[in-house]
Amino acid sequence: MAFLELNDVTKLFGKLAAVEDISFKVEQGEVLGIVGPNGSGKTTLINLISGYYKPTRGTISFMGKNISGLRPDKIVKLGLVRTFQSNVLYEKATLIESMLVSSHLQYKKNDFEAFLETKSYKDEHEKVVGNVLQTLQLLDLFNETFRPASVLSHGYQRMLGIALALAANPKVLLLDEPTTGMNYEEAQFVVENIKRINEQGITILLIEHNMKVLLDVATRVIVLSFGCKIADGNPHEMMNKPEVIEAYLGTETV
Amino acid sequence: MNVWLNRFRTFDWRNTWPKVVAAVPVIIFLLIPVFTQGEIVLNMLILSGIWAVAALGFTLILRTGQFSLGQAAFMAIGGYTSAILSVVLGWPWWVAFLLSGIVSGIVAMGIGAVVLRVGGIYFSIITLSLTEVIRIIAQQWEPVTHGSRGLIANPPPNIDLGPLHINFMANSIPFYYLTLLLVIITGLVFWRVGKTRMGGTFFAMAANQTLAEHEGIHLMKYRVIAFTLAGVFTGFAGAIYANYLTVISPLIFGLWQSIQIMMMSIVGGMSSLVAGPIIGSTVLYVLGIQLAQLPIYGISQLLYGAVVVLVLIFLPKGTGLIDLWPRIWRKIYKEVEDYEIPGEARQED
Repeated sequence: MAFLELNDVTKLFGKLAAVEDISFKVEQGEVLGIVGPNGSGKTTLINLISGYYKPTRGTISFMGKNISGLRPDKIVKLGLVRTFQSNVLYEKATLIESMLVSSHLQYKKNDFEAFLETKSYKDEHEKVVGNVLQTLQLLDLFNETFRPASVLSHGYQRMLGIALALAANPKVLLLDEPTTGMNYEEAQFVVENIKRINEQGITILLIEHNMKVLLDVATRVIVLSFGCKIADGNPHEMMNKPEVIEAYLGTETV
Repeated sequence: MNVWLNRFRTFDWRNTWPKVVAAVPVIIFLLIPVFTQGEIVLNMLILSGIWAVAALGFTLILRTGQFSLGQAAFMAIGGYTSAILSVVLGWPWWVAFLLSGIVSGIVAMGIGAVVLRVGGIYFSIITLSLTEVIRIIAQQWEPVTHGSRGLIANPPPNIDLGPLHINFMANSIPFYYLTLLLVIITGLVFWRVGKTRMGGTFFAMAANQTLAEHEGIHLMKYRVIAFTLAGVFTGFAGAIYANYLTVISPLIFGLWQSIQIMMMSIVGGMSSLVAGPIIGSTVLYVLGIQLAQLPIYGISQLLYGAVVVLVLIFLPKGTGLIDLWPRIWRKIYKEVEDYEIPGEARQED
């Protein structure tokens, strides 16, 4: 039984297949990269796994449980947490506030105990605040703890997106182009953090355009083109495959 | 977003002053009957308080990002429940009163669980029609509600507590304290909801629904909780209203009342969960009463509308009257504008 498994997953928008008959397995602890040209269905794939879209056909199962068509919040509770391609944040809230909202799955006490602020809830709250500060420190956001998310620079906002996902106790982290709009150094910083997150035992599914990033971090790569899976395997081998080069650069005419 | 981190920040005057500021009006309102026992003043305050509770409910629902135009319906449910149980069926008054809030809450939960599946403008439209549906039921269900003739609702029985005789018929003071108690309890509960973890969840849902859902927040659950809480307290308010006026008819709770509740919340300031609706409802209710005494027919509605529009123009984005004093303060002391959120003034490096 695979950790996360997709079986012939198809998503149709009208008659257009954004994702067609895609099957693959994700093993626990790996960093799986997903690449493909624009419009090849990478983000749709993450939207399908995270429950934002329901698959037209096929099944997605996580730890032996069929999760296709479940509500996003239920999927998050199972441990599949995503980030977004654009900076989707609570812009007016400070970092600590948005992080605490996102950490609500870390609490065992229910809302009524939170409302009464019982002693045990306070202890738990303190523990969660500690976790939040640790996560912020890990992602170099600690100095921004009391600033609103909207005043952060783009790079920090990207990191905050990852931090918010980490706060929800993920088993699998679905990262949708975490390095968009970053320069080489910033991208390197993200890569290091992805490795560190992976070392904590969190499986990572990484959508990426930046090949350098992918070769650095991914243990396996899946290549998509026009909604179909065209290759699957070691990232270095993938880059030399003729199908992959064709999908990215077009064919050579003699 | 209301800061629910006060344990984390060791001391911050911004977390402490609301408690001090809130204590002052509570003490003043508690002492009002000592200074004046004029029926006109008390009557005005009682009815302002009843509308304040309804406006508080509206604002709580608004905190989850939903715009309910059906709050008058829950007042009607509360009022009718109390009147039917205590007068028609002859149950003890206090039991009927307690059940009025509970029944209203149960109805809110049931309706909310269905209606809150659609969000945004569709929810507003459905709750708008809910107001009408409840009114029409009250009008048509003759055997229970006596149709448009309405029901007689009686005030609570006298209470004898040794030296203290509370007679609800003699004057308005007992009703005044009953209403004040309801306003205080509602205010405390909602203030606490806003301040603790649930307030953060509500904020997240309203600020960014997609992100909130992808962080594991069950949107429906918290929407229904807010709608139910609002329903319970609005039901109590409706019961007090019916028993204070001693009559309830389908005309009392209609579309206009639902819109009035919304306007009270907006004018008072939606940015504040407790103080805003209370200020808004008091100002608008007293204003409405005063304007109604003007001799020219229709001029009161015109001026009433003008006040609402003026507030919307000069105190926009949900700031409302609650922001009036800080704004004047900022105008007088320009340097206060330089006050920034800690950290925000720091240079980007």
